[in-house]
Amino acid sequence: MSKNKHQYAFFLGCIAPNRYPGIEAAAIRTSKNVGIDLLPLKGASCCPAPGAFGSIDLNVWYAMAARNVVLAEQMGMDIALVCNGCYKSIWEVNHKLKHNDELRDGVNEVLKEIDMEFKGSVDVWHLAELYYDPEIVGVKKIADSIKRPLTGARIAVHYGCHLMKPGKERHFGDTENPMWIEELVAALGAEPVQYRNKMQCCGAGGGVRGYDLAHALDITNEKMINMRDVGVDAVTEVCPFCQLQFDRGQIEIKEKFGAEYGIPVLHYNELLGLAQGMSPDELALDLHAIDVEPFLKKIL
Amino acid sequence: MADENWKPKIIAIICNWCSYAGADLAGGARIQYPPDIRAIRVMCTGRIDPLFILKAFQDGADGVLVSGCHFGDCHYLEGNFKAAKRMFLLKSVLKNIGLDDKRLRMTFVSASEGAKWGSVMTDVIKTINELGPSPLKEFAR
Amino acid sequence: MAEVKKNEEPRIGVFVCHCGTNIAGSIDVKAVMEYARTLPNVIVADDYQYMCSTPGQNKIAEAIAEQKLTGVVVAACSPRLHEPTFRNATKAGGLNPFRFEMANIREQNSWVHMHQPEEATAKAKDAVRIAVAKASLLEDLVPKSVPVEKAAMVVGGGVGGMQAALDLANAGIKTYLVEKSPTIGGRMSQLDKTFPTLDCSQCILTPKMVDVYRNEGIELLTYTEVEAVEGYIGNFDVTLRKKARGVITPAEAEARGIVGGGCTGCGDCVDVCPVIKPNPFELGMAPRKAVYIYHPQVSPLIYTVDFDACVKCGLCVEACGEKKAIDLEMKDELMTVKVGTVVLATGYDIFPIEKKFEWGYKNYDNVITSLEFERLICASGPTGGHLIRPSDGATPKRVAFVLCAGSRDNTGVGKPYCSRFCCMYSLKHAHQIIEKIPGVVPYIFYMDIRSFGKMYEEFYYRIQDEGAKFIRGRVANILEDPVTKNLHVNAEDTLLGRPIDMEVDLVVLAAAIEPSAETEKTRRLFGVSCSQDGWLLEAHPKLNPCGTTTAGVYLAGVCQGPKDIPDTVAQAEGAASAASIPIHRGEVELEPYFAQCMEEKCAGCGLCVNQCPYGALALVEKDGRTVMQVTEAKCKGCGTCGGFCPGGAIWMQHFATPQIVAQIDAFLLGGEQ
Repeated sequence: MSKNKHQYAFFLGCIAPNRYPGIEAAAIRTSKNVGIDLLPLKGASCCPAPGAFGSIDLNVWYAMAARNVVLAEQMGMDIALVCNGCYKSIWEVNHKLKHNDELRDGVNEVLKEIDMEFKGSVDVWHLAELYYDPEIVGVKKIADSIKRPLTGARIAVHYGCHLMKPGKERHFGDTENPMWIEELVAALGAEPVQYRNKMQCCGAGGGVRGYDLAHALDITNEKMINMRDVGVDAVTEVCPFCQLQFDRGQIEIKEKFGAEYGIPVLHYNELLGLAQGMSPDELALDLHAIDVEPFLKKIL
Repeated sequence: MADENWKPKIIAIICNWCSYAGADLAGGARIQYPPDIRAIRVMCTGRIDPLFILKAFQDGADGVLVSGCHFGDCHYLEGNFKAAKRMFLLKSVLKNIGLDDKRLRMTFVSASEGAKWGSVMTDVIKTINELGPSPLKEFAR
Repeated sequence: MAEVKKNEEPRIGVFVCHCGTNIAGSIDVKAVMEYARTLPNVIVADDYQYMCSTPGQNKIAEAIAEQKLTGVVVAACSPRLHEPTFRNATKAGGLNPFRFEMANIREQNSWVHMHQPEEATAKAKDAVRIAVAKASLLEDLVPKSVPVEKAAMVVGGGVGGMQAALDLANAGIKTYLVEKSPTIGGRMSQLDKTFPTLDCSQCILTPKMVDVYRNEGIELLTYTEVEAVEGYIGNFDVTLRKKARGVITPAEAEARGIVGGGCTGCGDCVDVCPVIKPNPFELGMAPRKAVYIYHPQVSPLIYTVDFDACVKCGLCVEACGEKKAIDLEMKDELMTVKVGTVVLATGYDIFPIEKKFEWGYKNYDNVITSLEFERLICASGPTGGHLIRPSDGATPKRVAFVLCAGSRDNTGVGKPYCSRFCCMYSLKHAHQIIEKIPGVVPYIFYMDIRSFGKMYEEFYYRIQDEGAKFIRGRVANILEDPVTKNLHVNAEDTLLGRPIDMEVDLVVLAAAIEPSAETEKTRRLFGVSCSQDGWLLEAHPKLNPCGTTTAGVYLAGVCQGPKDIPDTVAQAEGAASAASIPIHRGEVELEPYFAQCMEEKCAGCGLCVNQCPYGALALVEKDGRTVMQVTEAKCKGCGTCGGFCPGGAIWMQHFATPQIVAQIDAFLLGGEQ
């Protein structure tokens, strides 16, 4: 692990910079406010997407993810990232290569062609877990960084599958009914709201959206119903791909099922940005498919 | 030593209360393992004088297994601790006289671990087969 | 190495057992017997179908007499099974029983090499050769008789411990019943009804509790824990910690010179106590004060001060008045009692089922455990017997029972074993709600219904007829509706082959059980082994289910493995009977595997003295030299000193250095090289 607990190589991923640039901006600026420096991981590729690549050729998945890790090793820094899909790829490949010599030798064989070697010298973190870790940031420091509490906002939390599962391999304890992101949301002054089947998939991940859109929307629709039933002002997650599915998915659901939910979808870093005083423009919230305006009215 | 008919000679000195009972349990459960080990029963691994083991190697044993109770489970409170210490020291002696210290193994198998006894047997025999005949063999007799 | 003590010419007889086909199925018994005849010192060798039978044993006795044998070898099963049998046969032939040595060719040979007859036979020959080598060097030994203290101890005051204590006391043995909590009664006193008879649990238990309390042969030590154990069968010195209870009994008051004082159980102290804590007896679902009793039927009816909660305001002392029963300065006391035998009945705890995250126990209000259900359905429980949903106090109309909750669980989180009574009590629970709540539907999610006992299967059919719904499928997860707090039970109905999502008002998890928290500490104090899952290990699973490998220590009830009340009581009676035998005989024979000092070799270095865990060794002055001396009464025969003595000056009887070295040499140097 890197020597400095407050400097990380920031792995952007694909969806955040391409679809929701506000997440990228928010991640860098909000982290700075709580004492974390995110430095660009130059030359990074796609993580690569665990469902799309992993289900076709694991070796490609290992090698590409390992290459991203090696870039961080060259910087001498742990990786921080903001997407569950990236977490699944990079955290898991890093973990596997550290614990499986055979696999590691195979991957290094491939990396040799581009003069790289996986050493296993860094760790990979989701930014959210760094926020929650009291030794790095902690809920209190998050709360202290708030200038504009999101008072009165009822917010549903979606954890996302690739962050928490498989539970046995992760380190989050209870993966059936976790509450730590709720604590992070409460730190913003908002009210985290429990809804039925919280740990259900967003519908998109693991290649489901790419393979069978109708099925993916079916799952998303069930999720939206469960959130609507408890009455929420917004849903937050820590994964741009989940965000894409909830956000654009609601448009597609309207076309397919005729149901309209109008629940704004915000990445935790976007929420944190708002609470720390960033303007909606700085967060590019106008790029969201579902209008964030009603939510902003409630909190601003 | 290119004796193709070589079969390892391995002696196990095991305690009455845990490992011997575990070995009996393996029998009751009909757990099958290779037959190359002969067991000698003592009441406690604490009884095992390191000289017994050196004697066995001097006699040409290819491997020696010492097996007792788990730590904290010794029928005599702490005999297995003392045995483990002695075996640890003995291993360094073996290395110094040019014998691979993997030829001496200490394991902890309780009276309820029949299946574990079977896997210990299999594993010890595998190790000794890989190491081949003891270099001391030709001095035996 | 030590020298051989005797120099008589060894004459050994070897007897090889077929054990039907158990041995002969994979070992060529005749070949082993013929081989034995070629071994040095072997005078006679024979084989027989069943050596342990009377004719088999007679062969041994006859051969000893006819051939003037000095040692006997039987190649058969494990010495842990039949060594005593053949020692008796050896004795019957006129030889010292310790002139016998056994070669284990069954448990450690024919049964584990069933498909390798040649190798098994070769191994059996080696085993016989090794045994003959030892038998040639065996010497006469005389077991040591020690008197047995005419008192017993039972650890654990649940129904098993109570039964064992009653039986022992009624057999005329002074019995100490040690219980860690302030009252006896154990888990059974927390239950509402018992299956399949539907007896009220308290109603049948309370008279027994009173019997225990009144029995003059029983010294009831509640709120007391075992602190240390020394000694061995016949003479255990057990140190007990009497935890500071803060309240004295009338007898203790009299001893303190307080006339007519001591706790009468009036409860005046409770009314004034300002501290409120959850009552563990009610699993935290009801309050108690800092001075408390668990429930009205406790025995003894003496209050207890919880010093962790007490603020020492003294109001209770005032309220108690002239009885002067409350002593807020009381300290723990240590006492040592001497007993001949011990029965362990340490019981069980509920597995922390919140570890199975998918069922949401402790996250969802309306997911409860079966033990909580027992308290909620019990008329003397916190709700007066009205089963309610913890979230809103409503009466549930749809109740799901999740069986094998943490039992038969190979995920690594739960327990691999069957907890054995959950099926039956869940059937009983279904019956109880049908009886109490009109229109209720119990849904029982099960893997298999194990109704194995007397009248149990009949009870199962009865509950089916009463309208309980049975769904064969393990519950995958439980989800809470955050608004209604209803629960969605997701499972696969394996009989219909389809997934189901059932909405219910209340979920009852039939949580697995595990050894009680104190079991591990207690078993180590008494030197009792445990199986992989922590249950205490019986001496033999079939033939000695109450005994342990520590002579004089016996097991009763669930501490040995999950069992229901009838089985617990039956085992308790068995354990009490076994524990009374040495006491009634008045003396026990200890195996004479003592260490002895060979003074001519002893350099008096004293290194062995610290090796002995029992303090049996000491240095003494003898004929102007310092030598080690063994106190035989303290020596348990482990041989740790013998394994350590740098001068080889310790003779471990029956496991002497020349004997062991002869075994090693016989294997490695003897036989076909």
